[in-house]
Amino acid sequence: MHVIACYSNKGGVGKTATSVNLAHAIARSGRQVLLCDLDPQGASSYYFRVKPSKRLSETRFFEDSDRFADAIRASDFAGLDILPANRSFRDFDRFLSRIRSKRSRLSKALVAGGAEYDVVVLDCPPNFSLLSENVFRAADRIVVPVPPSTLSERTFEQLVEFFKDQGLPRRKISAFFSMVEGRKSLHRDTMARMRAAYPKRFLAASIPYSADVERMGLRRAPVAEYAPRSKAAACYADLFAELAL
Amino acid sequence: MRFAVGGALRRDFALYDCFDQPLRRSGRVLLRTGRDLVLLSDDSAPVSQKAEPGRGSLPAIAPGAVCDALTGLSPLRALMEHCAGRAETISVAVLDDMEKTCLRMQVITLSTRSGVATLVLMEPMRGYDRAHQRVVDALLDCEGASRGATGLWPVLLPGVQPYQSKPEVPITADEPAHGVAADLIRSSMSVFRQNEAGIIDDVDTEFLHDYRIGLRRIRSVLSLFRDVFPPEETEELQRAFSDLMAPTGRVRDLDVYLLGQSGFLALVPEALHPGLDLLFARMKTERDVAQRALARHLRSARYTARVAALEARLTDPEGLAPGPESERAALPYAQALIWKRYRKVCKLARRIDADTPDDDVHRLRIHCKKLRYLMEFFGPLFPKKKFRKILKPLKGLQDNLGLFNDYSVQQMELGRYLHPDNDAPVATDMAAAVGALLATLSRLQAGERTRVVASFAAFDNRAVRSVFEELFHQPEEARR
Repeated sequence: MHVIACYSNKGGVGKTATSVNLAHAIARSGRQVLLCDLDPQGASSYYFRVKPSKRLSETRFFEDSDRFADAIRASDFAGLDILPANRSFRDFDRFLSRIRSKRSRLSKALVAGGAEYDVVVLDCPPNFSLLSENVFRAADRIVVPVPPSTLSERTFEQLVEFFKDQGLPRRKISAFFSMVEGRKSLHRDTMARMRAAYPKRFLAASIPYSADVERMGLRRAPVAEYAPRSKAAACYADLFAELAL
Repeated sequence: MRFAVGGALRRDFALYDCFDQPLRRSGRVLLRTGRDLVLLSDDSAPVSQKAEPGRGSLPAIAPGAVCDALTGLSPLRALMEHCAGRAETISVAVLDDMEKTCLRMQVITLSTRSGVATLVLMEPMRGYDRAHQRVVDALLDCEGASRGATGLWPVLLPGVQPYQSKPEVPITADEPAHGVAADLIRSSMSVFRQNEAGIIDDVDTEFLHDYRIGLRRIRSVLSLFRDVFPPEETEELQRAFSDLMAPTGRVRDLDVYLLGQSGFLALVPEALHPGLDLLFARMKTERDVAQRALARHLRSARYTARVAALEARLTDPEGLAPGPESERAALPYAQALIWKRYRKVCKLARRIDADTPDDDVHRLRIHCKKLRYLMEFFGPLFPKKKFRKILKPLKGLQDNLGLFNDYSVQQMELGRYLHPDNDAPVATDMAAAVGALLATLSRLQAGERTRVVASFAAFDNRAVRSVFEELFHQPEEARR
């Protein structure tokens, strides 16, 4: 089982759109995917029209593996299940450590139709906390959307510094430029500068700023479903391909 | 809740099972709609795969999910089409107030000339059990609705009962013997008639096997129910049924050899296998020619008329004249017949030792067979548990005698392949292989022969004797 975290320590960078479209692309490649909506402000459940479960808001939720399994909902797309948003994941860190242990009751509950999920995608909350640290340790890949702006450059720097300070493996970070407006010279310059500064951290694929992505809120579906021939859909496909999951 | 209904897909469909309906009996239904094969089950999720073009109306089932789930089928039986018609498939999604899909269904309407059935295949979605349950409850409230796939059978094929090769004929103790005999004959008549179409279409070898069992049972009733019918009538019917049996022998013999190929190959050294393969190839050709001749015979107007006349006569309550014993009550009649036959078996068997001629062993086999038939016919009159106790050692003895006979017949028959009627030259490879096989068969026959005394001893013990006494031996005053 592969654990992929979509993370950004800055809000409004297209993190949830990435989680949703990436999870959808992975499922379309024939794998069983569980998308965990861990961001209380996020909307990945909303994009899949899945209602937050009432039972989910209870504390110590991850203590109870069966209830955890009960909360999982099938999306409308084959191979893609959702763990809906929850306001307080108090035992989130425990969840992360257990998800990796094959023998834990949680891993056993985490099965889709008898088989283990191939990929678990975590849509993470944007704060920088002890929780984030646990996410970094538990995940195999940390996918970080970075809009090419000065402020984002600063936050990305902070993230890399944090990895350095905590002795976390930086190679787990797979950053990409999101909300890119190719016409803006500021965007082009920032991208060139950051690629030079972090040659190994950035993927070649990037996601443009696009009305098609914005329409996700209206259509409440992954881009590839309602705009399959759009530039955005093609870019998400490239992103998925480059991640080589 | 809202239903989103997709477009209709119209295709042809067919329902498959073996003749004796093992899939239906185990709660399964194999359907083909267009090029999709789907195996439905009363207690697990359906599986599907693509249907490959096969023989006639039957698709070939390549390795796949359906192939894997088609377990528990006899290798002797083949799948066949039981009904076919048109299928209309409509996909339905059940949506909640957020337009989220909570349940998917395929509504398949199957129409044949004899009925129309609607099949709803549920594809429940994880986390939406309640929506699923609500729809299931609502559907089950509809008139005529039932859960499970096998409910298709009575709707699409009304009146088609699961086939039974040996239907148990209920008997009461004081029923007149004539009635028992007539019931047994009628039930076997229906068995052999049901198998005619499968022999003609050459679906599998079991049709002919069961056809012959049906005929043999009728002949046994006629010969074993002594004095229940007038002798001249018995003799005439015996001849009629023996005439029906005659044209089936060759095909069945060859079927048995061909089904036992691997067993025969194991009896000779590997170097001689090419020779035996040659023999089996020849047998296969011969079998197919004989099978076509048999099919022609069964389709002929002459055969149809004769069987129809026999059937009309035997199903007519007045069709069979009564003999001197016809009013005798079933129970004492059965007891007397079985006891007499049992004594005969014992008398003959107790005389057998290493030097007894083979003919006596063959006679013993025939008597055992008759005893077994009597016990099968009258089985319903006796307690099951005690019956099993004596049947098991009898079966053991019969197996032994049966093998002894089979090896002897096989040597005679296979020997003929070394001396063809038309004096055609025999391939050296084949001659060598058949020669080796004959030697082994002769050795095996001798082995069975030495076991006869022991297997009779296992049958002729105090426990078995006392059960025979208790069940079948009537006190002097009860006898006439």
